[in-house]
Amino acid sequence: MLQAHTLLWYYLWVGPNLLLLILAVFLWKRRIHRVYPFFWAFAVVSALDQLALFVADISPSVTPQTWWRIFWAGLVAEGLLKIGLIGEIFAHVFDTYPAVAKLGKFMIRGVGVVLVLAAALAAAYTPQDSRFGIVSGAHLLEQTTYLIELGLLLFIFSFSAYFRLNAAPRTFGIALGLTISACVHLATWAVMANGGLKGKRELLDFLNMSIFHICVLIWFYYLLIPQKATPHPAVPLPENNLDVWNRELERLVQP
Amino acid sequence: MTLAIILVIAAALGLVFILVVALSRSLQLSAGTNLVAQIQPIDVEAFRNLIDPAEDDYLRRRLPAAEFRAVRRRRLRAMAAYVHTAGRNAAVLVRMGQAALAAGDVPTAEAARRLVDNALLLRRNAAFALLRIYVALAWPNSGLAAEPVLRGYEKLNGSAMLLGRLQNPAAPARISASL
Repeated sequence: MLQAHTLLWYYLWVGPNLLLLILAVFLWKRRIHRVYPFFWAFAVVSALDQLALFVADISPSVTPQTWWRIFWAGLVAEGLLKIGLIGEIFAHVFDTYPAVAKLGKFMIRGVGVVLVLAAALAAAYTPQDSRFGIVSGAHLLEQTTYLIELGLLLFIFSFSAYFRLNAAPRTFGIALGLTISACVHLATWAVMANGGLKGKRELLDFLNMSIFHICVLIWFYYLLIPQKATPHPAVPLPENNLDVWNRELERLVQP
Repeated sequence: MTLAIILVIAAALGLVFILVVALSRSLQLSAGTNLVAQIQPIDVEAFRNLIDPAEDDYLRRRLPAAEFRAVRRRRLRAMAAYVHTAGRNAAVLVRMGQAALAAGDVPTAEAARRLVDNALLLRRNAAFALLRIYVALAWPNSGLAAEPVLRGYEKLNGSAMLLGRLQNPAAPARISASL
């Protein structure tokens, strides 16, 4: 059942990307694309890229080399859009809080530099196949982009968790889907780039496609289904000796 | 292949982390926990005394060097405990402020915004102060500036008081009393 070019294979390749295009249409109609322009662009480009790859895959006139060229072009476009998307997520979570926004920007730049160096180091230690440079290069580029993407997303989650900042549900949903996808894709592309599971690569493809399908459903849930308004009861304030406290504080501030 | 294993482990840890974050977020949103009860009171006067450079100078003059270092380390550990609690309280206040941000009326939302900003500033300063305290524990003779934490805490107290007043005008503000 878990073989390439089966019905399940075709569904997992085409289905999530069609859903992603439908999501993009809904986002456009509800004008959410104005709030998340990079996510919208990512959804459209990513879906169209995968659909183009699918058509190229089943079309007998497309040579393997051309297929991999299309793959490369999509990879570069998606990589650039993801950098913008991560910036968009960061801005939505922190820009309204000047107390931490500046520190966050400073730190994410530092983390970015460290991640680029780590990804370059990982790429240097990854074995290269000179016979199929276009293929192994693509695997390597996937590993590199997912390593940087995952690192940046985990930084955003850690930083906001430390400050107990809750992102808006839509922003959280976008980041959640993107991070889950990045975790699984990093693992699978790292195995592929390092020559693991030879002869059973379809399993990794199935895993990638299934996880991407789940991520698209996560984006649907968070972006289109209205989130329940959490009731915010008035804070129950305890009895206390506030007057004494305030007097003491005033005395401390102005001795 | 070692590299692949390292990356797979890193990705798996990342996945676990993100799932824990998602789970704790949904639990946090569904459970209406009593946030005020989580705030631990802090004796600001004792803290002020601990960070007073004059006190340190006095001890330095009166005690032999070895004894001064031991005393200084004990004071630094106490200081760290205060700063840690202040940081935790700030985190609770961020959550309270964020909950109040959804309030319909503008003054309450405005006060909540100020509270969140001050609490974030304090949490940031607390992290830096803790770092400096731990460095000072290694070199007890070095100077230490923990005043920003104290100033931030006092400012936070004012913000919390204003938010309490706006949320419950009938009763005087009481959140700050717990701080």
